[in-house]
Amino acid sequence: MEVLKDYKLHLIAFLVVIICELIGKQFIWIIAVFPMLYAMIFGGIISLPKLKILTNKNMQNASLVMMVTLILLVAKLGLAVGPKIDMILKDAKLALIFQELGHFAGTILLGLPLAMLLGMKREAVGATYSVAREPNIAIVADKYGLDSPEGRGVMAMYICGTLYGAIWMSILASLIAQLNILHPYALAMGAGVGSGSMMAASLAPISALYPELSENINAYATTANLMSGMVGIYIYTLFSLPFASFMYDTLARLRRNK
Amino acid sequence: MKILETIFVLILVAIIMAAGNSMGYKIDIISSLEALAVLVVISIVGFLLSKLPGLKKFPVILWVSVVAAVASSPIFPYHKELVAITDQVSLLAVCTPVLAYAGLAIGKDLALFKNISWRIIPVSLAVFSGTFIFAALIAQVTLHWEGVI
Repeated sequence: MEVLKDYKLHLIAFLVVIICELIGKQFIWIIAVFPMLYAMIFGGIISLPKLKILTNKNMQNASLVMMVTLILLVAKLGLAVGPKIDMILKDAKLALIFQELGHFAGTILLGLPLAMLLGMKREAVGATYSVAREPNIAIVADKYGLDSPEGRGVMAMYICGTLYGAIWMSILASLIAQLNILHPYALAMGAGVGSGSMMAASLAPISALYPELSENINAYATTANLMSGMVGIYIYTLFSLPFASFMYDTLARLRRNK
Repeated sequence: MKILETIFVLILVAIIMAAGNSMGYKIDIISSLEALAVLVVISIVGFLLSKLPGLKKFPVILWVSVVAAVASSPIFPYHKELVAITDQVSLLAVCTPVLAYAGLAIGKDLALFKNISWRIIPVSLAVFSGTFIFAALIAQVTLHWEGVI
């Protein structure tokens, strides 16, 4: 019961949550920022090792508690699916299937060429084959081992995702939604990236722009996210990782021939 | 964490979420607690399911999503009441504690972050943006085909 009894941690978290909720939603330029983002930033500042407020043990507990809070978040999101599932499966099954291609290929198509332009080696394969959440680390560990370049790549990305994945997704979704080119349902499906906190962070600004559609937006995003979660482990193993490796070899050959 | 401890931690964070919901979104504390109680029950059912042999292959959050989706669909007799109760908690209020704890855990990763090359920063932004943008573009095209939008 060590995690439960970390009173200091829970008291700090409680205060952070209350303060952030009292500040409420604000705008920075055209980017909507929500209490969840200040909560992450305040939490991050409090946890700075220099300030010596939290011990390493407190922080490890925080990360365990975060996993548990994520369960509640997923439960809340899942409740948006039931009332709409018939509609989505009837009207949008092709979109649901094809948008997964975008999720799985998108990381590699945008990330891998950039990684190689910046001079990264095989690390690029591990870093760009997925959004580097826990299951993705396990897949790379299984195939290459975590001491390999690919393993270092996926671990580095995992840390980046933990540090600023949610913040970045929220800013990006806010900007793209403001452009008003893509329909909010399409944006919602885009938000279902297979990570609960990143999805929630990108959904908030989309729902805020289209409050009257927010139930459907949550349903589309969560169904897409559920789909990513179910097929993810197979696609990552059978397609994404081999494809990233193949792309790396092809681009590396081009780089040498130049 | 053991099963029992996880359940207690669930209840604790649910109380924090109810407090945040009541403070930030002007919903009375009793309705907030009721909504969170339902979420806790769904979470516990999904969590226990994920511990069963044979179901362990998929992570807890997947099972919890499935339980929540089934409980809110017409298959489940009390789905209307259940959705009405849980509508009292804002999705945003549920997110705030998640990211507060995520933030409080950041300090332990900073040292690791300093050791990795700066190159990973632009690459990571491209990776996160890529998955969102490509999926949204494909969804836009296919939803249009299917006549949804």
